[in-house]
Amino acid sequence: MKTCVITGATSGIGKATAIELSKLNDYDRIVILGRKKEELEQTQKLMDISKKISYKILDLTELKKIPNIVKEIIKENETIDCLINVAGYTEPAPLLTTSIENLKTTYDVNVFAPIILMREVVRYMKDNKDGGKILNVASTAGMTPRPGWLSYASSKAAIISASDTLSHELEEYNIRVYCVSPGRCATALRKKLAPDEDPTTIMQPQEVSSIICSLISNNEQCLDGQNIVIRKKI
Amino acid sequence: MYTLILLAGGKGTRMKNAVPKQFLLLAGKPIIMHTLERVEKIEEIEEIIITCGEEYISLIEEYRKSYMLNKKIIYAKAGKTRQESVYNGLKKVKTDNVIIHEAARPFVNKSEFKRLIECKEKNVIFTYPIQFTVLKIKDDKVNELLDRNELANIQLPHKFETKTLLEAHEKAREEKREFTEDSSLLYYYTKIDIKTIMGSQYNLKITESLDLIIGEIMYKENLIRKDE
Repeated sequence: MKTCVITGATSGIGKATAIELSKLNDYDRIVILGRKKEELEQTQKLMDISKKISYKILDLTELKKIPNIVKEIIKENETIDCLINVAGYTEPAPLLTTSIENLKTTYDVNVFAPIILMREVVRYMKDNKDGGKILNVASTAGMTPRPGWLSYASSKAAIISASDTLSHELEEYNIRVYCVSPGRCATALRKKLAPDEDPTTIMQPQEVSSIICSLISNNEQCLDGQNIVIRKKI
Repeated sequence: MYTLILLAGGKGTRMKNAVPKQFLLLAGKPIIMHTLERVEKIEEIEEIIITCGEEYISLIEEYRKSYMLNKKIIYAKAGKTRQESVYNGLKKVKTDNVIIHEAARPFVNKSEFKRLIECKEKNVIFTYPIQFTVLKIKDDKVNELLDRNELANIQLPHKFETKTLLEAHEKAREEKREFTEDSSLLYYYTKIDIKTIMGSQYNLKITESLDLIIGEIMYKENLIRKDE
């Protein structure tokens, strides 16, 4: 029995990933994390009931709560075999109007929480006989200059770098670390970054989630340790 | 059952580093943690005695907590010499058999520890053939030729009968005689049979800064996911 934990599972790419993963056979247990109980239950209802689906309420800005949440998940599921960090936050602003609160929240959700989650999960995952997988959802915003998106773009660059470092550091435990950087994708977060954009003209969450699900499937063993850009050209 | 004495008292003076070598990072992990993580799963080792400076105990404990290591560990004072450190550790050993290892040798994998443990002899050391020529010299002149087929490079870990080794150490202390490692000391005082088993070209002891550079490459080549 293998367990996958997904953050940001109440909307966008996280929700699409949770739903699609529940229909596949790689993981029998899926734990979804989010801030709001009603929204988690909504996602849960759309997932395949043949899997053991559970949720945990976690505000990712409350970093000190993460160790206990992971402990609870281990207690209830015995192992964690996959962690997908999808949750994201953005508050686009240029330098001169970027507040400390903006920076703190953006980095808490986009960088510190994923790293603390990885730390806590790896404490157990490193003892798995078959190792495990971690997948971090970054962004193409972390790869090129983004005037006006200072906190968001730099936080995504940080998680791209962290994923790269950890793919080497965790290799000895047979833990594969993936990083995907989607381009424009029709999510609530994208709406904050590009309010005038028609969401029907860009990638949909399901198009990203299907690639995420392929990467974390049992058959995939060659694409870790890279920043994989997911972008729809046509 | 075995007690592992892990020698971690070195000051890293040869590396000219303020941090002792056993706490430097190899492949992103403190060198001492490589061994502690590996032996955590070896059931035959029931306890570990780490010889180190008192100032490093809390750091090691913090690392152990972070790496979720739970094997019983006690600490013994690092001596002025390696021999004194081993003696301080030996005095605390409760099992009939002891394994001695150096924290600065992070490339020994689980199967090598197992091979040592499963050897039926009680006193066993790893050795590796010497690939270069060794001569005895005196007063800057060649004094004697040595057949390198009869020579071996000693590698750790070693295993010994605790009582026999402790008695030999006590004799060495009485006579104030120093040895560079324990199989030499044991052999000098007892002439007991000490079995040698083949070690590995990868069993490098981290002593100089260059060893860390070589070590990173060797670690990836030899140890990643081959640690059964």
